[in-house]
Amino acid sequence: MNWFTAFLGSSIGKKLLMALTGLGFCFFLFIHLIGNLTLYGGKNFFLSYVEHLHALGPVIIIAECGLLLFAVIHVTTGALLFIENWRARPVGYVMKKNAGGRTLGSATMPYTGFLILTFITIHLLNVHFVDLSQQTIFQVLQNIFAFFPYVVFYTLAVIIVAIHVSHGFWSLFQTLGANHPKYMPFIHGLGICFSLIIALGFGFIPAYIRFIV
Amino acid sequence: MTTKTINLTLKVWRQNRGEKKGKLKTYFAKNISGDMSFLEMIDVVNEDLTKNREEPIAFDHDCREGICGMCGAVINGRAHGHEKETTLCQLHMRHFSDGDTIVIEPWRSRAFPIIKDLIVDRSALDRIIQSGGYISVNTGGAPDANAIPIAREVAETAFNAAACIGCGACVAACPNASAMLFVSAKISHLALLPQGRIEAAKRAKAMVRQMDQLGFGNCSNETECEAECPKGISIINIARLNREFLKAELC
Amino acid sequence: MTPYVENDQKIDTKLDAKVPPGPLAGKWDQYRFDLKLVNPANKKKFDIIVVGTGLAGASAAATLAELGYHVKNFCIQDSPRRAHSIAAQGGINAAKNYSNDGDSIWRLFYDTIKGGDFRAREANVYRLAQISNHIIDHCVAQGIPFARDYGGFLDNRSFGGAQVSRTFYAKGQTGQQLLLGAYSALMRQVASGMVKMFPRREMMELVVVDGRARGIVTRNLITGEIETYDGHAVVLATGGYGNVFNLSTNAMSSNVTASFRAYKKGAYFANPCFTQIHPTCIPVHGTFQSKLTLMSESLRNDGRVWVPKKPGDKRRAADIPESERDYYLENKYPSFGNLVPRDVASRNAKEQCDKGKGVGETGLAVYLDFEDAINRYGEDVVAGKYGNLFEMYEKITGENPYKTPMMIYPAVHYAMGGLWVDYNLMSTIDGLFVLGEANFSDHGANRLGASALMQGLADGYFIIPYTIGGYLAETTFSEVHAQNSDEFKKGVEAVNNRINRLLSVNGNRTVADFHRKLGLILWDHCGMSRNEEDLLKAKSMVNALKHEFWKDVYIPGIGKDLNQSLENAGRVADFLEFAELMITDALARKESCGCHFNTAFQTEENEARRDDENFCHVAAWEYAGEEKDPVFHKEPLEFENVKLSQRSYK
Ligand SMILES: Cc1cc2nc3c(=O)[nH]c(=O)nc-3n(C[C@H](O)[C@H](O)[C@H](O)COP(=O)(O)OP(=O)(O)OC[C@H]3O[C@@H](n4cnc5c(N)ncnc54)[C@H](O)[C@@H]3O)c2cc1C
Ligand code: SF4
Ligand code: FES
Repeated sequence: MNWFTAFLGSSIGKKLLMALTGLGFCFFLFIHLIGNLTLYGGKNFFLSYVEHLHALGPVIIIAECGLLLFAVIHVTTGALLFIENWRARPVGYVMKKNAGGRTLGSATMPYTGFLILTFITIHLLNVHFVDLSQQTIFQVLQNIFAFFPYVVFYTLAVIIVAIHVSHGFWSLFQTLGANHPKYMPFIHGLGICFSLIIALGFGFIPAYIRFIV
Repeated sequence: MTTKTINLTLKVWRQNRGEKKGKLKTYFAKNISGDMSFLEMIDVVNEDLTKNREEPIAFDHDCREGICGMCGAVINGRAHGHEKETTLCQLHMRHFSDGDTIVIEPWRSRAFPIIKDLIVDRSALDRIIQSGGYISVNTGGAPDANAIPIAREVAETAFNAAACIGCGACVAACPNASAMLFVSAKISHLALLPQGRIEAAKRAKAMVRQMDQLGFGNCSNETECEAECPKGISIINIARLNREFLKAELC
Repeated sequence: MTPYVENDQKIDTKLDAKVPPGPLAGKWDQYRFDLKLVNPANKKKFDIIVVGTGLAGASAAATLAELGYHVKNFCIQDSPRRAHSIAAQGGINAAKNYSNDGDSIWRLFYDTIKGGDFRAREANVYRLAQISNHIIDHCVAQGIPFARDYGGFLDNRSFGGAQVSRTFYAKGQTGQQLLLGAYSALMRQVASGMVKMFPRREMMELVVVDGRARGIVTRNLITGEIETYDGHAVVLATGGYGNVFNLSTNAMSSNVTASFRAYKKGAYFANPCFTQIHPTCIPVHGTFQSKLTLMSESLRNDGRVWVPKKPGDKRRAADIPESERDYYLENKYPSFGNLVPRDVASRNAKEQCDKGKGVGETGLAVYLDFEDAINRYGEDVVAGKYGNLFEMYEKITGENPYKTPMMIYPAVHYAMGGLWVDYNLMSTIDGLFVLGEANFSDHGANRLGASALMQGLADGYFIIPYTIGGYLAETTFSEVHAQNSDEFKKGVEAVNNRINRLLSVNGNRTVADFHRKLGLILWDHCGMSRNEEDLLKAKSMVNALKHEFWKDVYIPGIGKDLNQSLENAGRVADFLEFAELMITDALARKESCGCHFNTAFQTEENEARRDDENFCHVAAWEYAGEEKDPVFHKEPLEFENVKLSQRSYK
């Protein structure tokens, strides 16, 4: 296994870990979004989706463990990259400007990443690790979104996720070596669309729950 | 050609040899013609400094026609200045205006320690090439040059990658001080050609290992390198490097 | 102060070219067989010093290391990849005859000899033409991305007025690609431990022990430390001295120092007055210009050269009607037109400007006009051929050559002269070999386009590896150590003295100031056309400037530090002395040939008139001491295979 650890420890190996776990999260986000879109179908529709989901039992547990593992890898590797990259330029520029390659997403990856981690932790505490014996998950949502600052927090978090994904999406293709002049513009476009869909899809949930339901 | 001249304020990084710290010092460049190159402008300042018995600004340069890769500095926050696909020696003063203040700093990266003023040690780039940036062929015994036809587009793509001048601007511009564009240019040049395929896997592994050991940062696809590269080397090469490396490690 | 010129034909023993006997085509093969070989097991016992990492130096260092010698390789730049060969644009010649247009080794040989106006050694030039084909094979094997046609085979173009297509190229960056090939071979040997690389070192002195070159003294350009290195042979591949003119197409660090140190140690300097002035360069724009940029010669294939008919006509190009334009090359040379050789084109441009017909702000430029080509083929076709050159022109001048004609003027480009070498590429000092532009080479009095790259690589990849073996196998070496041999100590002392002397002048003028003055003197008096009176004047002017330099130069900083002013000062000090040698040589050659155009020797049609009776020789100069005229030696040139003819381009 020596070659394997050496491979994963290399700069490209680490990037590959980020890309693959990132891809996993994109996939998760996509599924999660589709699931949550049932909210827009009304309370009962949503709750029946939740029921079906929970009926999957062990599959869910496996998926959750997988996500946790991915999270651990993504976060530790990301942190390691952040530290290494920071150390690669011990004396910074007095004046540094962007040449036009950097985007809001790419420039803020470690920071948006950290914020997302914080958000996910809070989000999980609020909606995952809650006692559902007395209330439905829908009520949980209604409760937390009733608290306006949380709505603000949640919306910002969703925007941050979208920003993170706007760079992460095409970037993971580049890291996997999939950059071709014919297809890269499409991948770029897809990444932007995906992050917009995420922002809108998740972002309107609080409003929907607060004002429409 | 222009006859109009301009006056400029320069803030130049000065750092003595062997010292860890440096600082920006202010100089004035007077009566600079728009036809001068940036380096010729520094020549003028240096002659003035010399006449005033001060030490001139040390900076690397040689060909002064954009091909040797020796020159380079960060000008107002931009590697080789703000003109696209232009080395510092080919940046002309007509792109500046009278009264401008210009901040001039050396390439900054752990892998490129500062030697003096604007001169940095880029030998790390040579060490990367030593680790595998070649085709192992000894002189003598090569087959006829036309023995292996190579599609014109392939030869051109290889050429475009091989056009890298090894200036290090990609490292300087990269927010992570990564050398991936430089490495990918050489990997691509050789991996695209049938002659170079034979050692492609070994080369990719060795060059990436070497790059990692030299203190460069990791690529995070910021694409600032591509935007600043004076030779327009594309990040498609980085994707190819990733591919070559993954193939080499996993297959 | 005309030097004493010996006219007797007896061969100077030191100037024995060692050309092997036998028919021309078989000489090199036979000679390689006759050369003694070094036992493979013994090769590792030899240390070879190679100074320079251009095409010649890098290819030599890499190949010698492949053979098993230990090599120490030096260069001024921070990386061997930046040697000035990197800047060559146009291409490299070879007699492959891939175009099936009648090329052959013999034709390449003949063209090169004739192009050099019959002032090169037959046997060397023939060998060069033979080797040219191996170079292309080897370079392709190294992965050099030469231009290819749609079938995937190598593409050729015609270049520099040649009537066959024999030039291999990689866009406008052939030198870069070839050098990077040699550099990668070199890096491979560095990794294997056979080559030890010493970048940012300047050779300051050659060390000769018992009459043999055994080492060098260098200055570490970062620390200012004076260092010594020993070896069994020294190979100089330090490039050309065009920068003696201050403004040239050469890189800023190109110098004569290494060659000049060797000259002062006893190596003869051959034909120093032969400097090529290239006709298509971007004109000078101001006093502080540091360098002239070459525009590829290929532009003359479609561009038309003209000046206004009326001297002093200051109208814009567009306002000068067709009838008032003088297409002087087309008028004067109806059959070659704009494609006459470099020396002819340059001289005519100067002549027009001297008549006051020059254009641009300085009046030192002629037009190179693409209007007709654009009208005939369309802008797209012209852009396809020259797009990158037009962009480069626009980047530098800020003018768009699609709209206004380009302005060009000749500039110093290449040194045909250099240290004298025999067939083995060994100088008059045993064990000192000289390669590439640094030797007096195979180009006679004028070099053809795309043949310097060929020569540098031939020398490094395919000649020195054999001939140095012959020398090492035949020689018994005494023990010499850089650390404790007297000769090295003396070398270090000489270098230190020189540096201290430079630093202690403490005058008022900058090095650049002297360099500019020197350049102007040479450009005006020892440039495209020369005459005895001017040369004599120039000689005393240069001498006076040299004395002024040692009285009034000011060099800031100290010796033991990175000090670029000191580096330049050392180089300019050598240029000042070398310039005198150049002028001496120009004075002694009382004929016109190739680049050396003495107005006293011209045909009725104002073309160069050779004097084969008295000057069909290589002039090799021996250092005679400070402020003494050098001693002239002559290597007569014998032409057994070609007939000497007058070049004519009418
Ligand atoms: C702009 C331009 C375009 C050209 N285009 C063409 C072309 O298209 N085709 C063609 O055939 N030729 C061309 N030439 C000519 C050709 O490029 C050169 O003649 C050739 O490359 C010289 O190679 P070299 O190896 O002899 O020397 P260089 O490449 O000049 O290398 C000299 C080496 O010696 C080192 N050195 C010098 N002095 C010292 C010292 N004192 N101590 C230590 N090291 C030292 C330098 O660091 C360098 O490594 C062109 C030249 C120029 C200037
Ligand atoms: S990739 Fe571009 S920026 Fe980087 S070293 Fe090469 S030429 Fe310079
Ligand atoms: S000095 Fe050579 S690239 Fe700028």
